[in-house]
Amino acid sequence: MLHLAVRMAAHRIAALLAVACAVLGGGALVTATGVLAETGLRSHLSPGRLAGADLVVGADQEFHPPGDLPVALPERARIPAELVDRLAGLPGVTKAVGDVGFPVSLVDAHGRVVPAADPGPAGHGWSSTRLLAHARVEGRAPTGSAEAAVSAELAAAAGVGVGDRVRILAGDRLATAYRVSAVVTAPGAGVYVADATATALSGRTGSVDLVGLTTEPDARDRVADAVREQVADSGLKVRTGADVGVAVSPGADASRSLLILLAGSLSGIVLLVTGFVTAGALGVCIAGQRRDLALMRAVGATPKQIRRLAGAQSTVVAAAALVPGVGLGHLLAGQFRQLLADRGVLSPDLPLSVSPLPALAAVLLMLAVVQLSARTAAWRTSRMAATEAVAESRSEPRRPSRARTRAGLLLIAAACVLSVGPLLSRTVLGATTTSLAGIISAIGLALAGPALVARAGSAAVRRLRPDTAAPTWLALANIRAYALRIAGVVSPLAMAVVFVLTYTLTQTTVLAATDADTRAGTLGQYRLSVPGQGTVADGTLDAVRGLPGVRAAAPLGTTTVVWQYEEFGEPAAEAASALVLAPDAAGVLDLDVTEGDLSALTGRTVAVSSDAARFRGVARGDRVRLVLGDGTPVDARVAAVYERGLGFGSVVLSRDLAAGHTTTGPQQSILVRTDGSAAADRTLAAFTASRPGLVLGGSGSADGGDDAPPEVWINLATIVVLLGYLLLSIANKLVAATAQRRTEIAALRLVGTTPRQIRSMMRREAAVIAAAALASGVLLSALPLALLGQGFLGRPWPAGPLWLLPAAAITVVVTAFATVELPTRRTLRHAPAETLRAA
Amino acid sequence: MTTTTDPAARAALGTPAIALEQVTKTYDGGVRALDNVSLTVGHGTFLAVMGPSGSGKSTLMHCAAGLDTPTTGSVRIDGREIAGLNETRRTELRRERVGFVFQAYNLIPSLSVEDNITLPLRLAGRRPDRDWLRILVERVGLADRLGHRPAELSGGQQQRAAVVRALAARPAVVFADEPTGALDLRSAHQVLDLLRDLVDELGQTVVMVTHDPAAAARAHRALVMADGSVVDSLDAPTAPELADRLVTLGER
Repeated sequence: MLHLAVRMAAHRIAALLAVACAVLGGGALVTATGVLAETGLRSHLSPGRLAGADLVVGADQEFHPPGDLPVALPERARIPAELVDRLAGLPGVTKAVGDVGFPVSLVDAHGRVVPAADPGPAGHGWSSTRLLAHARVEGRAPTGSAEAAVSAELAAAAGVGVGDRVRILAGDRLATAYRVSAVVTAPGAGVYVADATATALSGRTGSVDLVGLTTEPDARDRVADAVREQVADSGLKVRTGADVGVAVSPGADASRSLLILLAGSLSGIVLLVTGFVTAGALGVCIAGQRRDLALMRAVGATPKQIRRLAGAQSTVVAAAALVPGVGLGHLLAGQFRQLLADRGVLSPDLPLSVSPLPALAAVLLMLAVVQLSARTAAWRTSRMAATEAVAESRSEPRRPSRARTRAGLLLIAAACVLSVGPLLSRTVLGATTTSLAGIISAIGLALAGPALVARAGSAAVRRLRPDTAAPTWLALANIRAYALRIAGVVSPLAMAVVFVLTYTLTQTTVLAATDADTRAGTLGQYRLSVPGQGTVADGTLDAVRGLPGVRAAAPLGTTTVVWQYEEFGEPAAEAASALVLAPDAAGVLDLDVTEGDLSALTGRTVAVSSDAARFRGVARGDRVRLVLGDGTPVDARVAAVYERGLGFGSVVLSRDLAAGHTTTGPQQSILVRTDGSAAADRTLAAFTASRPGLVLGGSGSADGGDDAPPEVWINLATIVVLLGYLLLSIANKLVAATAQRRTEIAALRLVGTTPRQIRSMMRREAAVIAAAALASGVLLSALPLALLGQGFLGRPWPAGPLWLLPAAAITVVVTAFATVELPTRRTLRHAPAETLRAA
Repeated sequence: MTTTTDPAARAALGTPAIALEQVTKTYDGGVRALDNVSLTVGHGTFLAVMGPSGSGKSTLMHCAAGLDTPTTGSVRIDGREIAGLNETRRTELRRERVGFVFQAYNLIPSLSVEDNITLPLRLAGRRPDRDWLRILVERVGLADRLGHRPAELSGGQQQRAAVVRALAARPAVVFADEPTGALDLRSAHQVLDLLRDLVDELGQTVVMVTHDPAAAARAHRALVMADGSVVDSLDAPTAPELADRLVTLGER
């Protein structure tokens, strides 16, 4: 059977190339998604500055929602300092170090912050140097509060050596001069001060970030068991080996969570598009072989054998295409990781996790899709009586089935209903229904397409005047008679149009709405921050408030919070970025508060957006259950409800609530509103210049980012990749479909159609295909996008680049014409009588 | 045009429907399919071309019909020389002067019977002669089938539709390539009767390629081909005579 399959396949190169491309692209996309997911689940940062520790005890740094994947928590959770002594006493332990960290930046002689790789260096107590691997120390341990040891890289960048003085921004202190007591050379090394000074700078006594242990040789596992016993009830994690990397920086590690989310949201669209494209390519391929298959039936092949033949042949091609596909998938995942790292979403140190699992999943999935599609495509031919099959193989196989048409129309109707999402919920989640509605209606079109095309073709043919040019008349007759074939190329093109329009415009519309929200809600014109430090020095706020011309200034922070609520009676949890505001925030931010007041944001309180309040059934005065960024569960009272949830997130924490539960402190930046005078600007600029490390910027978006959020870039990258895949497969499919019309074209030529008339006919068909694809694509996108615009911008059209539609139109037209014209020309090069004899 | 569309008028003019002079056709690789063949087909005659597979009868037909050009020699269709015409000019000439009937019918599946019949005229930008078409359609018994698609007709009906298509433009000559090859006996008889009647009643010229002696016996004259040459020509042939001639070919 396989031998036959391969023989038959060899004659259908164009069609099989389409299948191969579809499978290759699909395999690559699925593999890439899988690799990202696996990286999110299993990849670890390198142990870095903890590489010398045999085991590390730290907080879990993960929230485990019931029945769902864990959410990584980015804020460092502290553990009791008394644990250090307790663990030091265990047999086999040679050294126990209570590690305490705080953000640091070095200031060079010119008052500029020494540039450092992301994440920036951290300060620790001197005893933490014991946890470094193969550290080379030049100099001596720092003592007192005015000495520090710095890593070799930092020392070189700042141009200092042992014995020199250097100014250091540590924690939330102003730049202070330290004497360099030592230079430390080791991977991951930062800045080290005396242990007592470290504790003071971290702002916490009685707690440490983690405990690092070194053990006697070969005692590691024994000690690990003993430590686990010691901390059994505390929820702490004991990590050894490669696991240690997780403990280095919870913030960097938490970006893994994003990968899982990303892979989850990608997998849906990737599977959908891949299945659609692969099934389409196989449909064209098998349709081209209907005559062969029918003839095989005639010489005694059973229906099952026919389906097996179709399946086997496609599987051979798919298997061959999957090998480069899987390889490409790994490259693609690497590119994606790089993109995320460049956008600062992912720690650049997080390696891709490479295992055979994603490749295996992609292979199995694609082979299943291929087998299923091939067998379905061959189903009808295989089931018919042999003679009937041969007779039918000469023309279009069937009238489009009624059930298929009805299912398609139902899907389109369902998509229309779905597209009211943005009217109900002005959130990113509400906006995703728009693109989903677009894709669903495109699938509906693929199902209902043949019937619609046939009907439109018939109507057009009836309306033709008798003196219409022959090529036009022929083209329309073909469209009516080959509705399945035409619909088979119109629907993926329309899907590409829908996909591009809805996905891109959803992004830009939400972005525009968010931007408008943020801009309207941000009263302050300036933001003061210390990049790399993550916190503004204590006292800066009061100093700014005292400046002439400054009307208001308020601290601002962001953290991650998990909101636990009930949805349809089931416990649900949503992790999201949340603002941390002080009660005086109303002077610089206007969240459009409808209930309560931001000044009530004291103690254990939060403010929530009206959308979140509505969907989660809470009102002012109610209590919400939250898990803070370091894993602490809290019950907080809703002090205010605000409208601008799109720009400022669904929940805002009071500064009191977040205090002590963030790595860097809740005062990450200061938003400043001046009287708008040039004098005030100058005063503010002079003040900024006087404080090394402090940077004055535009107020920008409230959560600290200064351009489009990372999701936009991720989504745009996804659109580009998927669109390329879609277009390639469409082009392949069109070429294959045209190449399979050799016999038809030869017969037309024998009865007297000139090559020119053939080309003219084919061009008209291409024009109809392009026009139909564009029209249906735009029509299907119109309603979801109008409702999106209404919901988010209050006008029935979306926001976005004007060139998008013309660009999509040009792409569709060029694709349709090029892929029809080229194979037609090739076909015309052969004498028609020869073609017919060969067929 | 008005004078030449009537076959009888053409016959009177004295130009033969088809005239081949010393035609040789060599394919790539040196295969000589036609070797110095000369042939004249007068208007209003029914010629059968017979011969075993590979004897060159299909190549002869393709050259004579202008589907292909000879390597050397001259081919005139209704007085027009085709050597030196490009594909488009030849197509236009064929459309006007030549009708085809194929073994595989070659009706366009997407078009109704009526549209198939008028297709060559449409392609030429000519208005069909409705009366002529009605006569033809009624003659072949397809008057009630005009709206059907080819797939909905029997093989015999499809071939009769193909015959009407070939005749719709009142061509100078109709070429039939194994027209009964795919048909059952009864349908084959009907199609052969039809072809013969067209010649006898309407003065049409028909050239038929076949290897069925019974079919060839319906022609006025039969050529027997072997190895790219015409080896025999029989007037008013009978089936046994032709069968015998084909058998002796093999023994030579």
